[in-house]
Amino acid sequence: MSTDAPPDLKRRQLLKLAGATAAVGSIGLNIGLANAADALLKDNPDDVFDVVIIGAGLAGLTAARDLHLAGCESLLVLEARDRVGGRTLNHDLGSGYISEAGGQWIGPGQTAVADLARELEVGTFPSFYEGETVILGGDGRVAVDLKGTFGTDESISAKLSELSRDVPCGAPWKSHRVAELDKLSAGDWLAQQNIKPEDRAGWNASFLLTCGVTPAKMGFLHFLSMINSAGSEYMRLDSIKDSAQGTRIVGGSQVLSSKMAQLLGDKVRLSCPVRKIADWNGDIVRLQTDQGEIRARRVIMAIHPALCQRLQFDPALPEARAALQRAWPAHSPARKTAMVYPRPFWRDKGLNGHIIQVGGPVIWAYDNSPPNGEIGVINAFILNAAAPTDLEAAKHMQTEIYARALGDAALEPVSYHDHDWAHADPWTITCVSPIPPGFWSTHGEALRPPCGNLFWSGTETADIWAGYMDGAVRAGRHSALQVLNALRKV
Amino acid sequence: MKKIIALGVIVVIAVLLAIFGRDLLDLYRLQSYITTSTETYQAERGNWPHLTDACTGCHGSHGNSLNSTYPSLAGQPAAYLSAQLRNFASGQRFAPNMGPLAMTLRPDEIDLLAKFYARQSVGTHGPVSPDEDLKDRGKQLVQTRGCTACHGAQLMGHEAYPRLAAQGQDYLLAQLNAFASGERIEPSGAMQAMAAALSAQERQAIAAYLAAIVPQPR
Repeated sequence: MSTDAPPDLKRRQLLKLAGATAAVGSIGLNIGLANAADALLKDNPDDVFDVVIIGAGLAGLTAARDLHLAGCESLLVLEARDRVGGRTLNHDLGSGYISEAGGQWIGPGQTAVADLARELEVGTFPSFYEGETVILGGDGRVAVDLKGTFGTDESISAKLSELSRDVPCGAPWKSHRVAELDKLSAGDWLAQQNIKPEDRAGWNASFLLTCGVTPAKMGFLHFLSMINSAGSEYMRLDSIKDSAQGTRIVGGSQVLSSKMAQLLGDKVRLSCPVRKIADWNGDIVRLQTDQGEIRARRVIMAIHPALCQRLQFDPALPEARAALQRAWPAHSPARKTAMVYPRPFWRDKGLNGHIIQVGGPVIWAYDNSPPNGEIGVINAFILNAAAPTDLEAAKHMQTEIYARALGDAALEPVSYHDHDWAHADPWTITCVSPIPPGFWSTHGEALRPPCGNLFWSGTETADIWAGYMDGAVRAGRHSALQVLNALRKV
Repeated sequence: MKKIIALGVIVVIAVLLAIFGRDLLDLYRLQSYITTSTETYQAERGNWPHLTDACTGCHGSHGNSLNSTYPSLAGQPAAYLSAQLRNFASGQRFAPNMGPLAMTLRPDEIDLLAKFYARQSVGTHGPVSPDEDLKDRGKQLVQTRGCTACHGAQLMGHEAYPRLAAQGQDYLLAQLNAFASGERIEPSGAMQAMAAALSAQERQAIAAYLAAIVPQPR
């Protein structure tokens, strides 16, 4: 699939292409392709869209782009924010430079997002990690070359990789060990592993960054399913080199969404939050938005389950789905900062700009400079509570920490950017999903089945790399196929 | 001979310290910090990893948040904290972040968390408003509205009534606004009635004043 497809191809031809694309997706579209085309082409009143997608993040825009390329023109994407990109966002550093405030990396096995980047002619480059990482704690400091890792204990890593083979990432609740594993927290398991005191802070940081919570409240089954997504190699999940943090996107991750939105033009409607969804079980779904009522035959819900929970549904959703949304964890509102310097001065000292601070406020800081290091950028995940709300005070606190780690040049930044996802706007609520123990046993089966004409999408529904940008692209593509198939039956 | 060897060792150590002195000292300090913090953790909470870690990100390791949008839990009455966790879980108090987390807590875990944060000392918190006129107006409103009747003479809270002194300004304002709009309720209805009768500016003044109060021992 290419963005270079001629825009003026006949709609009917594109619809047949859509049928062919869906058939490749193995969902049984080998019959009735002509019917599918006819169904979409039948007299649609202008005020009823074939498909409305809620959410212009990576999943929603991927779904919209696939539908658009398939010839579905009766299409609208509704976005509550005044921008596209969802949980990907570029800080504009000026002079054409950016630093990512949200999801930013891709890695091995994340083929869906890598393909999308290629299709959109967006380049990638490796994360910078060569040199020594600085570990701070109290007034102590040590610099050590971790060789592109977080210094994880290899024996623990090997045990986790082995266990993850029994937990299918697409359906953890179907693991043959679900009863045994889903009652445990990751903390319960780690407590049995004789973790050395000096390694505990590393595990806390790893869990906070990857899972959004410390080990005691992270479900072990879900954690293993995340490792399973990484090809059952823990180091592909939680490391830098050759891992899910190993590759960056030229122009920042939000550029993927921006490019897709550009293609879709006025099919993307910004600042249009949906408040209520009525008649989702009827032929025409009615969406009550801040810009009036919008009607659709099919609706793709490309938003986080916690945001689904903020909507009113009439009639109420089936209890299993409602219970899943009510219980979906949303307590990981990450705060991410970017400190900008004229150049990455730390590299001259053999430092890689990475800082792990035992006890915080910095959980992990890292070199997020542009591809050729033209300017220096230190990005950091910081503990929300440990940094002041006041941006000048938060900046000062971090420069002091960076100076201890990297040298006094860190005291002279050019600019500072700070994004607390919980408070930046009401349309994120949380970042990654710290699925607690027992969650999948209770709610797993309600994750994906559509409810009437509502099709659940968003990275949380992906069968591989759920929670990651790659999962968002997979979920978007899957929901586009689902909807095409459903429309064919009209 | 032994003296010569001993002297040799001292010289070697001196040379090493001269070359690596600062790095060695820094490493020693890091190790000391980890040892001390590990012992403190064990004494205060128990075995790692502990349930209380789950609250650290937003509320601080001992319940003192420097970020005025996230509430400080330190020194809050245990009865108040456990009631709020139950309300989050039941949906009676609406908070998208807290609801699902509270739903995962067993009654004994709620009890443990409430008691842990209740016994923490109230620390210094983030910057407060420099607007003295605003804080003075807030003080007058707090006095005339009789806030101390429920929240205590020092506004440090007791039983079901939370500590307001030195709480985060943005959090306090958000709660006053939530009471005013009816989004947050409490059994007596007093907070809703009081907050709804205040103007938006008056709510700001009260939040500014309360956040700036120096916390007193209860």
